Amino acid sequence: MINARTIVPLLAALGLLVILPLFLSPNLLNAAIKMMIAALFALAFALAMGQAGMLSFGHSAYYGLGAFAALHLMRAVEHKLFGFPTPMIPLAGALIGFLFGLVFGWFATQRTGVYFSMVTLALAELLFTLAPTWNALFGGESGISTIRGPSWGINFGSDADVYYLTLGWFVVSAWCMWAFTKTPVGRLALALRDNEQRVRFLGFNTHVARTLIFAISCLFTGVAGALLAIANEAANYTIFSAQASANVVLQTFIGGAGTFFGPALGAMIMTFFARITSDLTRSWLLYQGLIFVLVMLFAPQGLGGLADLHARKVRTNGWKHLVAPYLLCLVVGLLLIAGLVFVVESIHVVLTDAYLAKRAAAKGEWVPYELFGQTFEPFSPVTWAIPIMLVAIGSTLLPVARRITARAWLAATRDVPDEPIAPSASAAPVAPPS
Amino acid sequence: MTRTIVAATCFAACLVTSVANAEPVKIALIESLSGGQAVTGKLFQSAVKYGLAKVEAEKAWPDGIKLLEYDNQGGPSEAADKLKAAINDGAQIIIQGASSAIGGQITADVQKHNARNPGKEIMWINVGAEAMEFTGPKCHFYHFRWNGNAEIRLKAMLIAMKDANALGTKVYIIGQNYSWGHDVQKLTRDYAKEYGYTIVGDVIHDVNKIQDFAPYVAKIKEAGPDTVVTGNWSNDLLLLMKAAGDSGLKARFLAYWIDQPGNIANAGDTADGHYTQSTFFPDANGEKTAAFAEDFKAKTGQYPLNVQGHVTHAMWGLGEALKALKAKPGDKLNVKALASAMENVTVDTSMGPIKMRSEDHQALVPLAIAVVSKDAKFKADNTERGFKTIKLLTGEQASSPVQPSCKMDRPKS
Repeated sequence: MINARTIVPLLAALGLLVILPLFLSPNLLNAAIKMMIAALFALAFALAMGQAGMLSFGHSAYYGLGAFAALHLMRAVEHKLFGFPTPMIPLAGALIGFLFGLVFGWFATQRTGVYFSMVTLALAELLFTLAPTWNALFGGESGISTIRGPSWGINFGSDADVYYLTLGWFVVSAWCMWAFTKTPVGRLALALRDNEQRVRFLGFNTHVARTLIFAISCLFTGVAGALLAIANEAANYTIFSAQASANVVLQTFIGGAGTFFGPALGAMIMTFFARITSDLTRSWLLYQGLIFVLVMLFAPQGLGGLADLHARKVRTNGWKHLVAPYLLCLVVGLLLIAGLVFVVESIHVVLTDAYLAKRAAAKGEWVPYELFGQTFEPFSPVTWAIPIMLVAIGSTLLPVARRITARAWLAATRDVPDEPIAPSASAAPVAPPS
Repeated sequence: MTRTIVAATCFAACLVTSVANAEPVKIALIESLSGGQAVTGKLFQSAVKYGLAKVEAEKAWPDGIKLLEYDNQGGPSEAADKLKAAINDGAQIIIQGASSAIGGQITADVQKHNARNPGKEIMWINVGAEAMEFTGPKCHFYHFRWNGNAEIRLKAMLIAMKDANALGTKVYIIGQNYSWGHDVQKLTRDYAKEYGYTIVGDVIHDVNKIQDFAPYVAKIKEAGPDTVVTGNWSNDLLLLMKAAGDSGLKARFLAYWIDQPGNIANAGDTADGHYTQSTFFPDANGEKTAAFAEDFKAKTGQYPLNVQGHVTHAMWGLGEALKALKAKPGDKLNVKALASAMENVTVDTSMGPIKMRSEDHQALVPLAIAVVSKDAKFKADNTERGFKTIKLLTGEQASSPVQPSCKMDRPKS
């Protein structure tokens, strides 16, 4: 499977990641660290979800356990109980993640489908409830904190050091997971997803296989948690929250659970999105939800699935047909988004306490409000004309853009044979409970 | 990097052109501004803005101050990211308070940053994280707590209720199963002798998971206490009060957080006669507090609620410390000097003077103890009920001793 066509872009990407810290601002460097951790978490989650069809709603449990394992190891080193090289600390997360994955997985994988999800959710909730009360282990409400010790002649004080540490573990872990999908057990995972009964009839102990795959997923989740602990040098019980589990599900689906790198892509994009937009608008959660809904409606195989589709179907010189229509689609999309954002942000501003106070001061009059550095009259036709115009133009162009894109797609993919789709590239599987 | 400067720009006009190129002191607010906890985050946000407006108007720092706002998305990990972003954006003072979980991350990060970047220190102004350990084992030179804590608040309520002959001799404790609930539980036991009561029962329950408190109330009823002490907040407090009301339990509640917005409206008559305390009630100190409340309402749209009193006072305290540095235009803020100044700062408020205690950086905050009543002058939540102050304690009266576990490491200067 490794050939020049895949290895060259991968090496180029790796090279780019290595020299990236030279160009990034400190904020973006920190963002890059968190994006890689999120990507690793999503990859590990997708190993169980995408490959073996096990939709876990409680992966934050192993993420958190990995983080706390790493923190306790770091604390032991900090208090000079024994020496341990800082770059190897994620091994603690891996070990704890794997062990708990085995134990919890043994219970959870007794069931499939939605029942499996519920068991994983319950196990994570168990930790979420337990953690704030178990002070010695989880440090109560404010958690435990420690400091990265210097080792191997590296200080590990700066973000750049942490970046390279994270990058190293990300690359090694991602490669291991990719290699795992090529092993017989990894292949078995696909078979389990598609038809567990048949696998059992072939003589495999499916429970053991599912437990093992789940535990390996938890192992890499633990590594991601440990990397987070190293980056933050602290953690508390909120790491076990259902929110964290839900986030990784969301990111994986946006990225596309059916492809190997899709989840990583989704996690990186959504982490970056949250980071940037949360300081720009208080409505960012609404936008995040909208992205999820739109992806599920129009590209259920996710962003990775879309990229994969293009890689397989578009002729070598087919892109020249697609560039212009895609630009048109982008313009239409931006128009519609701009209209929507204008309305949402206007409503948001008008409902803030500060605006309500201004209105109260003006005896209930609808005073002008500020948005994007401009002032708008709430009931002026000019104000309303902006979103109406944007949406009107956008929706008029939408059918046109769709028609043109469909035609261009046909032209771009003409004569490309419908090669049999590799199992790992099929659409996101959500196995109905059997 | 997209920088969020949703700053208090309305003061920009005050800046004379000659100092326009000088850098203002940047203050970062890191709170939950979106999602489920945004309601709490916004309480902090509006009080911080209101408090800093006065600091800026008084020209506490010659080159002005600038507030940067960051949304911590309710999680410590995101808060750590936003703290880094704030530092990179040039913030030297960090304000946070809505959660001890996030406070734990911030205080550790501030400490590490200062250890790694001598000469570029930052400080955390704690305006609400109440866990005892921030002024105990986790105390450090660059942390200042301007709000109360479990002990101060309990002591104040005990003093006031004892004076009003409302405490009784039998006390029951019900609390949430995490560090805050444990703190309250332990302290209530510790103070039993001093205030002459016995503990007739004691129960700890899951946090925000219980839908029906009737079994707990039945147990309380059986024990027959005069007073029930609870540090519960949010749903755990509401449902507890409702269950107590439904069962006809006669005991008074000594509840830390009845004054959280929405509680009075939701609890209705089951809240009547219960005791609570706050760093600010509009009727606590006659004309003075009323005037402050009216001014606050005129600027922000509502009377100061819950945490908003001490958040405002903390900003003024910061202003006093900045003034004490006697900086000239063009000076750069030295946070080490600011922290040294803040150690001994006193700020005058409508509630009385608030003094920072240098031993553990816990402010001695005046506390008002109130009873929920229909006779209250200022009504809460647009209902007919409100908080009627029965006693106002000065910061010294309400203060609790320095925790021996706090070993403050002062920089040598």
